[in-house]
Amino acid sequence: MAENGEPRVGVYVCHCGFNIAATVDVEAVRDEAATRPNVVVARDYQFMCSNAGQDLIKQDIEEKGVNRVVVAACSPLMHEPTFRAAAEEADLNPYLVQIANIREQCAWVHDDRQAATTKAEQLVNGAVGRVALHEPLDPMYAEMNPATLVVGGGIAGIQAALSISEAGNDVYLVERKSTIGGMMAKFDKTFPTLDCAACILTPKMVSADRRDNLHLMTMCEVESVEGFVGNFKVKVRQKARFVTDACTSCGECLNVCPVNVPDPFNEYVSTRHAIHKAFPQAIPSTYVIEKQGSPPCMEACPIHQNAAGYVALIADGRFEEAAKLIRKRNPLPFVCGRVCYHPCETACSRGKVDDPVAIRGLKRLAMDWEREHIPDPEPPPAKHDHGEKVAIIGSGPAGLTCAFDLAQEGYKVTVFEKHNKLGGMLAVGLPDYRCPPEIVERDLDYIRKTGVEFRTEVELGVDFKLADLLSDKPEFGYGAVFMALGAHRGLQLRVPGEEAEGVILGIDYLREINLGRPQPTGKKVAVIGGGNTAMDVARTARRQGADVSILYRRTADEMPADLEEVEGAIAEGVHFDYLVSPLEVVVENGKVTGLRCINNELAEPDETGRARPIPIEGSEHIREFDMIIPSVSQQPFRTWFKGGVPEKGEIGFTKWDTLIVEPDSLQTGLPGVFGGGDVVLGPASIVEAMGQGRRAAEAIDKYLRGRPLENFETHVAPPDPVRGFVKRPYEHGPTYDQIEKMPRARLEARDPATRLADYDAVDFGLTEEEGIREASRCLHCGVCVECHSCENVCPPDAVRLDMKDEIVELEVGQILISTGFKSFDATRMTPYGYGRYDNVVTSTEFERMLNSTGPTGGQILCKNGKPPRSVAIVHCVGSRDENYNRYCSRVCCMAALKFAHLVKDRTDAELYEFYIDMRAFGKGYEEFYLRVLDEGANVIRGKVVEVMPAKNATNGDGHLVVRAEDTLIGRFREIPVDMVVLMGAIEPQPDAEQVGRVFSLSRSPDGFFLERHPKLDPIGTTTDGVYLAGCAQGPKDIPDTVAQAQAAAADILGMISKGEVTIEPVRATVQEHLCGGCKTCLGLCPYTAITFDEEHNNAVINQALCKGCGTCVAACPAAAITGAGFTDEQILAELDGILAPIASGPMQSGAIPEGVAT
Amino acid sequence: MTMTTEAPLREPEVVTAEWRPRIVAFLCNWCSYTGADLAGISRIQWDPSVSIVRVMCSGRMDPTFVAKAFSMGADGVIISGCHPGDCHYQEGNYKTLRRVHLLKRLVAGFGIDPDRLELVWVSASEGDQWAETANEMAARIRILGPLEVGS
Repeated sequence: MAENGEPRVGVYVCHCGFNIAATVDVEAVRDEAATRPNVVVARDYQFMCSNAGQDLIKQDIEEKGVNRVVVAACSPLMHEPTFRAAAEEADLNPYLVQIANIREQCAWVHDDRQAATTKAEQLVNGAVGRVALHEPLDPMYAEMNPATLVVGGGIAGIQAALSISEAGNDVYLVERKSTIGGMMAKFDKTFPTLDCAACILTPKMVSADRRDNLHLMTMCEVESVEGFVGNFKVKVRQKARFVTDACTSCGECLNVCPVNVPDPFNEYVSTRHAIHKAFPQAIPSTYVIEKQGSPPCMEACPIHQNAAGYVALIADGRFEEAAKLIRKRNPLPFVCGRVCYHPCETACSRGKVDDPVAIRGLKRLAMDWEREHIPDPEPPPAKHDHGEKVAIIGSGPAGLTCAFDLAQEGYKVTVFEKHNKLGGMLAVGLPDYRCPPEIVERDLDYIRKTGVEFRTEVELGVDFKLADLLSDKPEFGYGAVFMALGAHRGLQLRVPGEEAEGVILGIDYLREINLGRPQPTGKKVAVIGGGNTAMDVARTARRQGADVSILYRRTADEMPADLEEVEGAIAEGVHFDYLVSPLEVVVENGKVTGLRCINNELAEPDETGRARPIPIEGSEHIREFDMIIPSVSQQPFRTWFKGGVPEKGEIGFTKWDTLIVEPDSLQTGLPGVFGGGDVVLGPASIVEAMGQGRRAAEAIDKYLRGRPLENFETHVAPPDPVRGFVKRPYEHGPTYDQIEKMPRARLEARDPATRLADYDAVDFGLTEEEGIREASRCLHCGVCVECHSCENVCPPDAVRLDMKDEIVELEVGQILISTGFKSFDATRMTPYGYGRYDNVVTSTEFERMLNSTGPTGGQILCKNGKPPRSVAIVHCVGSRDENYNRYCSRVCCMAALKFAHLVKDRTDAELYEFYIDMRAFGKGYEEFYLRVLDEGANVIRGKVVEVMPAKNATNGDGHLVVRAEDTLIGRFREIPVDMVVLMGAIEPQPDAEQVGRVFSLSRSPDGFFLERHPKLDPIGTTTDGVYLAGCAQGPKDIPDTVAQAQAAAADILGMISKGEVTIEPVRATVQEHLCGGCKTCLGLCPYTAITFDEEHNNAVINQALCKGCGTCVAACPAAAITGAGFTDEQILAELDGILAPIASGPMQSGAIPEGVAT
Repeated sequence: MTMTTEAPLREPEVVTAEWRPRIVAFLCNWCSYTGADLAGISRIQWDPSVSIVRVMCSGRMDPTFVAKAFSMGADGVIISGCHPGDCHYQEGNYKTLRRVHLLKRLVAGFGIDPDRLELVWVSASEGDQWAETANEMAARIRILGPLEVGS
């Protein structure tokens, strides 16, 4: 073999018929090449790629000892493999061949013959210079993994998957929707044969489902692809379906799902439930729940109450189920139905339309309904029977929630309460008119039934100690303790005179009244503060007959109390004095006579975001009062704890006397002792305390079961709950501004005069009718409202609402992209009135209308339910239009003719087709066109200008006029019709760019994926092992799609039977003796193919991982990395050849004389 | 996308009627080289003073290649790769982008107008884009005139 000796270069210049020879003087190129160093033979030939051309090369290798070959011809992307194979046949290493691209990059793009010839000579010179430095390389081989990934489950994907799996190979068919079938599944008939689309598609879908080696992966999307042909590693996101394979498709769930949303499969014309099957023959037949995250009301709730769920059930009139659902998450439903501060309503998306849904009122309604109809509800049995005992100190919302959850979990729970009434703040802090005792009692009854034991009038630190609870003493022996002591110590104003008679703290005042102990109230009372406690105190004092003023240091805008409490106080005659601070209690004979105050003005907001009050100098004044009730804030008592002084390693307190706990587990410094509610949070809300009680229960369960205190699942409401979608409540829903406004239900309140006479509730609940109407205002954010109805009725127990997305990893050898298309958005074409006029429909909507499983059951009907008397079909909507897409969508003409036939077949309507050119290009298509003409369709050649309502049309009957130019008779025409069908363009999928990146695909200017070659390889892509089929590559009809899919399958099967793939040996290697160990290259390799050998202090490249990009080669400061096939020397030699002067060419100024460079 | 295939080509030459600049273009195999081939298949004309050298990735661009090209007689150099985010080798083009920023300052230090070095992103479907790039560069170099490299 001569390849290791002196380079002997053969140059072969191809005419390519006229393709090259017409612009390039090939003889001149040949002659110039012959003068170059190392060239032993230079020839030109008509077609170098022909067998005779290749034989020339082989002959010269064998007879003239040529050991380097330059072919000046078409692009190396075309025929490099051909000439390499020729060299190999003559026993020359194929990598000693270099192509000079004088066709695509010279002859075809230049018209100046002399300039093109000179350039061709330069390119050949470059190749000659380069090839002399080529080294023989050995191609690399890798095993071909026979498994194949097909992305997109339309007819293309199904067809290819069937063919490939038929041959015995594993195929993963990934589809993002819940069923395979793609667009074809929406069609009724197919042109030109009028085959029923379902009849020819569904058998294929069924076989795809039946075949063992064809793995259907619906609701899946490819996230990333690594590796190369033969060995791709693919990560697929399996989106949660929320229904398992156990589903028998019985449809029981459809009877109970309270949610109805527009149905994407029927183009949003009809509705479907949150749990659904796209269409009757869907494959897989497993139902699916559409759930786009949790509704914001639920997210905002600290106990993750299924607000949207019970609201939807109430809208359906299902009060009993609503109450059951509420109870599932909420141990204090009666209390919450009245006094919760309802973060759910704050987060409610309905607020973006008009006002939030009255969720709290609806909860109250459901629970009141339960009280009336189910006098004695039973809690579900405990899940387990754990032996451990748990002590809970405090019977407020936190303690009760923790007790309930633990009892349901199977623990023996004892609640210790120091007062003689249970409920904590609910009992002693809230006035009865807000939280009637019988309401609290009803919640307590339910909790009692779970087996929780209550002990009242036992006080921590007095009757027992914390250490006792955890001790082995028989009356104690608790495994864990939850401290839910609350924050019952009112804070003083810290002004002089506070010790006088007639000053009482607000929280103490409420407690005394709630416990029924005598509590004298003054005649003229000042309540200091602006929170809910201040409102409760003021309204209670009003009921005690006092004249009450609330003094608040800021203005009404900054006041933290709930708006309804403030409104209630105002209605009941409480005076509000803003921007006032107390300075001193005026005392005479030890009794209060007044309050010395100062006026404030507001300064810039402080770090809490609230405006700071600044006293106004000289505004001091005295107000007359006989009773002062400071109600500014509360803190927990800590007197129970060794006089309040903790030691190291024990329970700790903050400077506000709240307990220090671990943020996740709520465990205090003492193992097994947990804390939550106001004793941790400071004065907070009922539902926040309940949230902590629930978390503590989870932590205590983990603690007692010996599991680590981590990975908590109980919900934590984010500070600013995610409000679903910004513009609409769910992905395909109407936007907020499209939703009709509907006033929020208001709870009827009693007359203020009568309600001051007692402590009964101030307002009445909603009636059932009011409730159903109010509940119907819910927008079903995220579609599924988590009412669990389907779960409750599912015979095979297939519903799993807690299902999560999963990432599945696949290993495949080849990939077929058949991701389909998107239909043109006809609202963009404003003059055609789509979206404004009822009876202007898109072609896909019309397909659904024609389909027996569609919204009209296959009848062609106008919006008013009557069949149309005349129908216009408009071609080229968004296609062949400079404003939208320049290309022809190819299928619309024939689909329009199919529609024409079906309109004629199913109605008596007159039919008009408006077309630009009638494209009936396929087998049987022209015949079909003629048939439809015979059937009486009127075809008008001309583009429609606009669609407008008919002049004589009365509102609602929807008659339209189509205005168009008839270019054949040269006249403008106005045709009255009842229905207009717009034949929208076929467009690339909206996420084609992202999909292109995942699979390294290029796209053509129209946005469809780019094939490897427009003529000779319309199936392959520039990424080896990745193929295209169907409309992802460009608009095409079903026969072409199927043909392309079959062709792709054939290519894929060919590669599989070959068993291995050849990999270009273009790889980087480190010349270890040159490597200085600077590690520059380590971070550059995207494939982490470069590692560092610490022992020898040099970089090492893993040849199996290297892809040969050469980035490290370029970056190596010591030039220690060589890129095989693209070495520095080879590239520089090519440069030198290209820039060297040409003897025959025009004089080049600026060129350096021969021999100077390098 | 607009098609400007002839305008720069018809521009009058500035220095002399005979003078044709010599421009070397380094094109990545996957996007830009394929894009230039597409211009050929579509017969979109571009200036013959641009000659293409194929590299696997624009990330292969050793700064030395640019310096050597100028010293060997090139009047202009084009580097072209895949659009950001589209690199066949994930991120090679970002490396190039960084290097070209530096290189522009470096060549200016040698007294070479940095406008003689151009970095563009051309995808495999942008044949017209490639032709436009080549034509614009040729027109620009005609205005700048021949590069006189000091010895």
